[in-house]
Amino acid sequence: MRWSLSKANTPPAEDERFDDAVRRNLVMAKLEDLVSWGRKNSLWPFNFGLSCCYVEMTTAFTSPYDIARFGAEVLRGSPRQSDVIVISGTVFRKMAPVIKRLYDQMMEPRYVISMGSCANSGGMYDIYSVVQGVDTFLPVDVYVPGCPPRPDAFLEGLIMLQEAIGDERRPLSWTIGTGGVERAPAPSMRDRKRDERMRTKELRDPNKLEGYLEHRLGKRG
Amino acid sequence: MSGVSPSINQFWPLAVFFGAVLLLVCVVLLVSWLIGPRHNDPATQTPFESGVESYGDARYRFPVKFYLIAMFFVIFDLESVFLYAGAIALRRVGWSAYFEMVVFVGILFAALVYLWKLGALEFATRRWRQPFGQRGIWDERREQVSRR
Amino acid sequence: MLERTPTTRMLFDKFGEANFTGQTTVDGIPTLWLTHGDLHAVLRYLKNDITQPYKCLYDLTAIDERIRKHRAGQPDSDFTVVYHLLSYERNADIRLKVALKENDLSLPSITSIWPAANWYECEVWDMFGIVFDGHPALRRILLPPTWEGHPLRKDHPARATEMGIFQLPDRREEIEQDALQFDPTWWGMNPGNEDTDFMFLNLGPNHPSVHGVFRIVLQLDGEEVVDCVPDIGYHHRGAEKMGERQSWHTYIPYTDRIDYLGGVMNNLPYVLAVEKMAGIEVSERVETIRVMLVEFFRIMSHLLFLGTMAQDLGQMSPVFYMFADRERAYDVTVGIMGERMHPNWFRIGGLVDDLPAGWDAMVREFVDYFPARLAKYEKIMLDNGMIKKRTRDIARYTLDEAIDWGVTGPGLRACGLHWDFRKDRPYSGYERFDFDVPTGTHGDCYDRIIVRFEEMRQSLRIIEQCLHNMPEGPIKALHPQTTPPPKERTLHDIETLITHFLNVSWGPVIPAGECSVGIEATKGNNSYYLISDGSTMPYRVRIRTPSFPHLQMIPLIARGLMVQDLIALIGSIDFVMADVDR
Repeated sequence: MRWSLSKANTPPAEDERFDDAVRRNLVMAKLEDLVSWGRKNSLWPFNFGLSCCYVEMTTAFTSPYDIARFGAEVLRGSPRQSDVIVISGTVFRKMAPVIKRLYDQMMEPRYVISMGSCANSGGMYDIYSVVQGVDTFLPVDVYVPGCPPRPDAFLEGLIMLQEAIGDERRPLSWTIGTGGVERAPAPSMRDRKRDERMRTKELRDPNKLEGYLEHRLGKRG
Repeated sequence: MSGVSPSINQFWPLAVFFGAVLLLVCVVLLVSWLIGPRHNDPATQTPFESGVESYGDARYRFPVKFYLIAMFFVIFDLESVFLYAGAIALRRVGWSAYFEMVVFVGILFAALVYLWKLGALEFATRRWRQPFGQRGIWDERREQVSRR
Repeated sequence: MLERTPTTRMLFDKFGEANFTGQTTVDGIPTLWLTHGDLHAVLRYLKNDITQPYKCLYDLTAIDERIRKHRAGQPDSDFTVVYHLLSYERNADIRLKVALKENDLSLPSITSIWPAANWYECEVWDMFGIVFDGHPALRRILLPPTWEGHPLRKDHPARATEMGIFQLPDRREEIEQDALQFDPTWWGMNPGNEDTDFMFLNLGPNHPSVHGVFRIVLQLDGEEVVDCVPDIGYHHRGAEKMGERQSWHTYIPYTDRIDYLGGVMNNLPYVLAVEKMAGIEVSERVETIRVMLVEFFRIMSHLLFLGTMAQDLGQMSPVFYMFADRERAYDVTVGIMGERMHPNWFRIGGLVDDLPAGWDAMVREFVDYFPARLAKYEKIMLDNGMIKKRTRDIARYTLDEAIDWGVTGPGLRACGLHWDFRKDRPYSGYERFDFDVPTGTHGDCYDRIIVRFEEMRQSLRIIEQCLHNMPEGPIKALHPQTTPPPKERTLHDIETLITHFLNVSWGPVIPAGECSVGIEATKGNNSYYLISDGSTMPYRVRIRTPSFPHLQMIPLIARGLMVQDLIALIGSIDFVMADVDR
């Protein structure tokens, strides 16, 4: 689906052709693309958090990181109204039935982001009361590593989920379209980023703050 | 215009409106049923209560103060309904209606003052917590030795 | 053998010296063993009759002594229950221990003496299987009700991978949910009076207002709370059991995550306790850097408290301002330590690394910027009429109640007691700093907010003093147990290299002993009671967290409150669930 933005007051060009004028004012798309575009850009997360990762998740909701840019700032208190549940934090055995219940009460389409090492695999807590990964009882769409992941990392996970939703083919209804949900294969970010990371040759010296200071102080003016 | 008995022909826009409302509701329900999700997990139909099962029924004996508040609302809401009706007809009826409305509002205002002074509008029953050292739930439980 | 203190002398006079066995511990706290027949009498005497009594039950825990090797001089015991009392007037502690044998694991409950013992005894039952006779409601609090076994026993597996793959089929989920469902008759609650039925509402474990995975079941008459039952354990990460499986050095990251808003504040009591046991003295530079970073995290934690408190009371904007300020504070701490929430930057014997060049410019910038923001918050939050109306005189508790229930930290200071470990038991060089300890008077929600707000100002004062008077010195002590040893020497001497390798892989060997060190953490008094058996791993790590007793007190205060006042109360306690359940 091709679309673009322009300012409201831009007058049309002198020699604008009819086709361009149409393209500027109308959007033509396949229905499934339109629906995917709507779904991915207005993901409503569920107000759910377990542990330290929840603090970083809520930091992503505040001004410096601003999840509202991605359309996902509408934290819903009820699972019936939410699209995505972010398992942010350690999954405890006592909490597992509660999480499963909340996931059951969500309406489709529903997605799961597993945020943080503890939710991904139990993390550093290989201990009797912690479930070793939320994917033992929930289907996970995106895994965000970190302990806790920076708010930026969480936002990257959200963008990946949006891309995945944009690519997925879901029947519009049980009456229209056959088959189940077709998902694009999940990419491994480690593979995607490998080349760029291998090209890094200079690491900032942690004992000198020059670049860090300008970067942090400079951007605030 | 006055004194003419209303004929059935004057009400056809209302009937059309009624039909349109009914049609809209049916269309919305039908489209939701067609397009909506189709999963039915064990907990899907249960009410949401922070992720655990709720205790008790939804039908129980509510505290009577909710009923009181509802009654007061209805009374004062109907007062405003009458005021709306009076406002529409005010130009035709004139000053006498105005003074009647003032009397009407005044009587209800007196009733409001009475309710206020009586404390019927107080929502909390001022049940303060038990002071320190007095008998509480832990004291009752202590009598029963419980081992699990 | 045991150093005679005024308290022990009075105890011996009253009960006879033969009834006690003394034990010396590294921290110098008088530790006495007694039989469980004497327990009640001694505790009552210490709480009520002795001059300057020990009014606070600081901690109640147990130790599984069955495979402990170095316990010469201590009475024979399979399981030991430890009672740690604190006297504010004397500024002294006393530790009482009772020995139990495996076939007779029961003790009389002390809930009739201290109501705060309730949850502590439930935890000991849950973790060790020791039964407390006369306990009003002995049940599992940290583990699911369907759990079998007692984890902190030495024969219980620690790892989840030793326990079989976790699966949650529908049947199991049903069983677990049924176990979690609230049963008012078990608690002795009336389902209704003659006019109305009460509504039993679950607030949590998933609820935005309970700040974490905390569940509180309310018995409601309309909008009023008749009674409530807090239910914890949804955040139990087994940190104490993890300590028995990690080396002294590799346990430090686990401490970060106890109070996840505290960051390095959590490393401090653990590292201080290990250093005390090993006999390591750190330089003044290390102490000052530690103090500076710890105060930064106190500011950050209180900022989050303030923002979420405002949000609970209905103000939507302040939380965004405060999180923006937290980012500014993170700029400083990340520049120094590298990680945001869990830096784990303190080490046994020092720190990870020295302060980077240019740190003073960063700290100077924050110190200049922050006071104006605090003034702004004072105007929008503390002087706000609506906030005052919702927090003044709401959820008050008296000082006696606070002490009886083990409240520490800002919650205690808001009742008027000027008690702060930084002033009364200075650690890590706090005696060199000039700061005040804010106290309140009424013990209501508003005073708790004010106390934390003023603490931020004082923390900024301390940071400024660190900035101006940062001493020079090494950042790692020259001691065999310093882990890891200074890197420069590692690359020069073979002995240092060997020690470095052993300390990091196998772990430093801390001499056998017991030590308990407490600090004034962001939420209250946080103590680590470490027991070493002369090996590379702790034998027992007991973490006394401040938020555990705070939550226990909620039903006492909440009876009679409206639901919105209860939300204000829960917000003003400022707890973190990881701090409660560990």
